[in-house]
Amino acid sequence: MTDLTDILKDNEDMHSDELMRYLQGNASEEERFAIEKQMADSSFVNEAIEGLQNFKNPAQVKEYVEQLNKQLQKQTAKKINRKNKRKLKNQNWLIIAILSILILSVAGYLLIHFYTIR
Amino acid sequence: MLYFQAVSKQRYDHITDSELLDKFYSDKDTQWLGILLQRYTFLLLGVCMKYLKNEEAAKDAVQQIFLKTIVELGKYKVTYLKSWLYMVAKNHCLMNLRDRHIFIPVEGRTEIIATETGPEERINKETTLTILEKALSELNREQKTCVTLFYLQKKSYQDIVDTTGYTLLQVKSFIQNGKRNLKLLVEKKMKATE
Repeated sequence: MTDLTDILKDNEDMHSDELMRYLQGNASEEERFAIEKQMADSSFVNEAIEGLQNFKNPAQVKEYVEQLNKQLQKQTAKKINRKNKRKLKNQNWLIIAILSILILSVAGYLLIHFYTIR
Repeated sequence: MLYFQAVSKQRYDHITDSELLDKFYSDKDTQWLGILLQRYTFLLLGVCMKYLKNEEAAKDAVQQIFLKTIVELGKYKVTYLKSWLYMVAKNHCLMNLRDRHIFIPVEGRTEIIATETGPEERINKETTLTILEKALSELNREQKTCVTLFYLQKKSYQDIVDTTGYTLLQVKSFIQNGKRNLKLLVEKKMKATE
């Protein structure tokens, strides 16, 4: 028997390995209870596991998840690279602008200096 | 490659969802969303499969949900990502079905209507225990049986189906509704004792 107050607690952790074992019917009693408790606590988890049970081959699920995660990583990394490139480009313009101002100021100073001496 | 993925995943395991979201909101670096959304790929794939009932369609839907999420999170501030993501996934699938002129009948939707429970408040154990015992006895027979068998005797859904003769859907519904009613009864009784 468990503690009565456990009924009101929600467990947030879900491990993919446990989930895979549950889908394949190999989960231990403890793992099975932990997963079914989360199903009872959350409609999201409940519907997700009902859906995952519809896959013809549960082992394939992990493969699909890895593919999706790889694509997600590419997507999120791509955006960062683009942002970083843009940042670098912006910095190039800034450097060019600063150098131009410096060159113009030095040239102006030399011109004025040259004419005042003459 | 997989080794590096696993290592990089472990590096962020100690960071909570809301911390990762805060990091994203502060520097707009989508890398944080990549780490965050990976935690939900399994669940999203499951929800999409439940509604779309096709493995390829479910995979495509998850990709589209990821894209949508990255864009939307850049525009709005979301506090409870898990509930929000569930809503986005469900709406995406229902829209997809609607476009294909497939409508989910109302009876099939009863289980879908159940809401996502948010984070729980801390409970004062001693007072709650006595109140809980009383509240449990006030539940209707079906809910009381299923809640007791599931939470206290740690029986599986299937065991409860076999013991009680209820269907799997009924068992799930009695447990979910029983827990919700139990919470309401406890809150009511706690207010009365204050």
